[in-house]
Amino acid sequence: MASVSHKTRVLAAMTIPVTAALVLAGCASDSGDNGGSEGSSIIVGTTDKVTFLDPAGSYDNGSFAIMNQVFPFLMNSKPGTSDVEPDIAESAEFNADGDYEVTLKSGLKFANGNDLTSSDVKFTFDRVIAINAENGPWALLGNLDSVETPDDTTVVFHLKNGNDQTFPQVLSSPAGPIVDEEVFSADAVTSDDDIVKGEAFAGPYTITSYKFNELVTFAPNKEYQGILGAPENDDVTLKYYADSSNLKLDVQEGNIDVAYRSLSATDVADLRGQDSVEVVDGPGGELRYIVFNFDTMPFGAKTSDADPAKALAVRQAIADVVDREEIAEQVYKDTYTAVYSFVPQGLTGATEVLKELYGDGSGGPDVDKAKERLEAAGVTVPVELNLQYNPDHYGESSADEYALVKDQLDASGLFTVNLGSTEWTQYSKDRTADVYPMYQLGWFPDYSDADNYLTPFFATDNFLLNHYSNAEVDQEITQQQTEVDPAARQKLIEDIQAKVAADLSTLPLLQGAQTVVVGTDVSGAVLDGSFKFRFGTLTKG
Amino acid sequence: MTTVTAPAAPPGAAASAPKRARGGGFWRYLLVRFLLIFPTIFILVTLVFFLMRLTGDPITASLGDRLTPDQLAERIHEAGYDRPILVQYLEYLGNVFTGNFGSSITDGRPIVDILLSYGSATLELAIYALIVAFIVGIPLGMVAAYFRDRWGDAGLRVFAILSYATPVFFAGLVLKLIFSVWLKWLPVAGRASTRTEIKLQSLDHQTGIYLIDAIRTGSGAAVGDVLAHAVLPALALGLLTAGVFLRLVRTNVIGTLSRDYVDAARSRGVGEYRLVRKHALKPALVPIITVIGLQIALLLGGAVLTETTFEWKGLGFQLAYYLSKRDFVAVQGIVALLAVIVALTNFIVDLVAAILDPRVRY
Repeated sequence: MASVSHKTRVLAAMTIPVTAALVLAGCASDSGDNGGSEGSSIIVGTTDKVTFLDPAGSYDNGSFAIMNQVFPFLMNSKPGTSDVEPDIAESAEFNADGDYEVTLKSGLKFANGNDLTSSDVKFTFDRVIAINAENGPWALLGNLDSVETPDDTTVVFHLKNGNDQTFPQVLSSPAGPIVDEEVFSADAVTSDDDIVKGEAFAGPYTITSYKFNELVTFAPNKEYQGILGAPENDDVTLKYYADSSNLKLDVQEGNIDVAYRSLSATDVADLRGQDSVEVVDGPGGELRYIVFNFDTMPFGAKTSDADPAKALAVRQAIADVVDREEIAEQVYKDTYTAVYSFVPQGLTGATEVLKELYGDGSGGPDVDKAKERLEAAGVTVPVELNLQYNPDHYGESSADEYALVKDQLDASGLFTVNLGSTEWTQYSKDRTADVYPMYQLGWFPDYSDADNYLTPFFATDNFLLNHYSNAEVDQEITQQQTEVDPAARQKLIEDIQAKVAADLSTLPLLQGAQTVVVGTDVSGAVLDGSFKFRFGTLTKG
Repeated sequence: MTTVTAPAAPPGAAASAPKRARGGGFWRYLLVRFLLIFPTIFILVTLVFFLMRLTGDPITASLGDRLTPDQLAERIHEAGYDRPILVQYLEYLGNVFTGNFGSSITDGRPIVDILLSYGSATLELAIYALIVAFIVGIPLGMVAAYFRDRWGDAGLRVFAILSYATPVFFAGLVLKLIFSVWLKWLPVAGRASTRTEIKLQSLDHQTGIYLIDAIRTGSGAAVGDVLAHAVLPALALGLLTAGVFLRLVRTNVIGTLSRDYVDAARSRGVGEYRLVRKHALKPALVPIITVIGLQIALLLGGAVLTETTFEWKGLGFQLAYYLSKRDFVAVQGIVALLAVIVALTNFIVDLVAAILDPRVRY
């Protein structure tokens, strides 16, 4: 009897603490504090990260997402469009000299009470260039020569190439948030704490509490006078996640109201079937390509059997064979869409020129057409292709994406693909050193203008360094950059795309779709071609 | 750690002589242990310095797809990453010895701030995990010893092996799946719910240890919420060590239970429970203290995975983030701190063991 009693006591000593912990946890769960928001307060979750709140120091999605809420821009786009118009400016236009002249609204103030004048604007742009931060947006201001401020509300941007039609978009880009010269440093990146303490905000929101990459709370800024208007909610809390599966579970369970960037394709597909949430889709700015190196691809200029006509036939036959829809559906569960344009859908100037030129004419593959093309050019099949991708920079599905591309090309019987992958650091060096005849590339735009998808890729000595050069394309690229008539400019952009579609220096495969998941009681989530997600339109209830 | 049993004293030796010898030996032992901290940290920091540079530089990692090779080379040159690696290494050592850990490359935060901000979260998790290890490992070790070679003992030994052989991230995912997703008893991740975090952020002079901060808010719901969030990460990490404790306690209690003085107590009619708890457990706990030193290193290693799995924003979580960005400076700073913690803990453990256990040879 005694020994039984002792056993019980030993077991009790072991189980009591464990049970107590679970009961305590249960009590906490029952308290009703599930972490969700109350009233018209909104909780947004994201896996993005902030590097710096200071616009001079960062050029990434996570930092820009906050800047869009708390800093004003001279030019900005209303939710639903990517076309820019004056934000805190009264007017903005090119003057007779080709410079860009902006007149500020009068009586502008920062949340700390400081006046927002032309001096702040000049300070903003001068410091981005002066600081020249490693991860800053200085490169976007390459065409800016100087900034002049004739009076408190007038700013004149003197441009190296006058009438630069991309400049209004640059003012809306990560280089464009206007900062308070009394809070920010002129020659160094200002710390997040100093910015928050200094209340140097003149956008739709101010930051009321800030814990770096953990939790940020925003409250409406009464001083904001721009085109976005007053926020429709009481406050917004932005919560940061490291793991997208935790973000997914929290929005699914109602612990947060909105999940914005970045859920995996599988998670989005799963959430589409849930009653507790709604998935909102919008156009994305990311494009994914295959890049051809004109020197080292089959029949390229530096190969032993160099033949430009055969090389072109190979590129075009590849375009005939790839099935973008299959890749988008199978690999990305439609979180990417098939793209047949060099300028993504949703932006002015987007066409579907590749759909007409290649494959079955309606977006699908056509192996027979590819075979005819190769035969006509005298190319012996199968053509051996060395295709390289990167597994750690463009998302974890890159391996699946390129395995499927290989399958499609191999299955045509026209190609034999040797697929290789390289870690990012080496890949970055190799791709511009003629190591890869064909390789994967992803592109996120600097700003929402067609030029950002053309000049970096197709101008001679472009950043791809793939040895593509077309004098007519060069000329039209230069022309469209300064064409003041929007219709004429659009025509030039379409012409450029028609020419590069025939040359096929790159083969666009997929366009990233933006996705935001909201609770069923949340409305006002707008995704558009500006790729800016504004908290001010979100409401609950 | 060298906890070797001392040979028996020669018969007839004066009682005071060995005492004096031990006193001098103790301080020499202490000094040697203390001095060993420095090469330990030095070797680790050196290894991290060179290994990080094998994986590429942070500029290529962040700007490799945007800049031309010339622009990239210019940026790398400006940052000094193209200098001979030995020059960079000596400069780094110089900075470390002067207490200058620099600022992270990714987000420009002073390394000291990072260590202070996130170190408290890791410390809190490590304490919770140790508590779990103690309250699970020690009682179960006693039970296993008591039921030696019976089904209960066999089951607990299997449990011990499983708990330290199961990868901590896997244990975390399984726990999360069962208790958060299926049963919905406990939160999925994080250190507190959003509402509690906002409440904690409103405090002046936060300690960074959420339980203390939650108590300071005076809100029972906040305390409960913080504890509820701690249960699964603490279990995932604590069970890793609990298995080691369980086996150690079991072995030592079995060993002690067969000693003469225990038999003597049993013959005097002392009950089995009292025998285990009072006579066998206390001596069996001494080796646990010596093992804690090793377990701290294991816990910190496990914290990287546990913190990532549960969004527990501590040093391990940050280390994983900065590693992905190839942020040399931040990784070196965090690893240096972890090395200091492990080395200091081992030193303290050796010291305590030497004081508690007279058999430790100086």
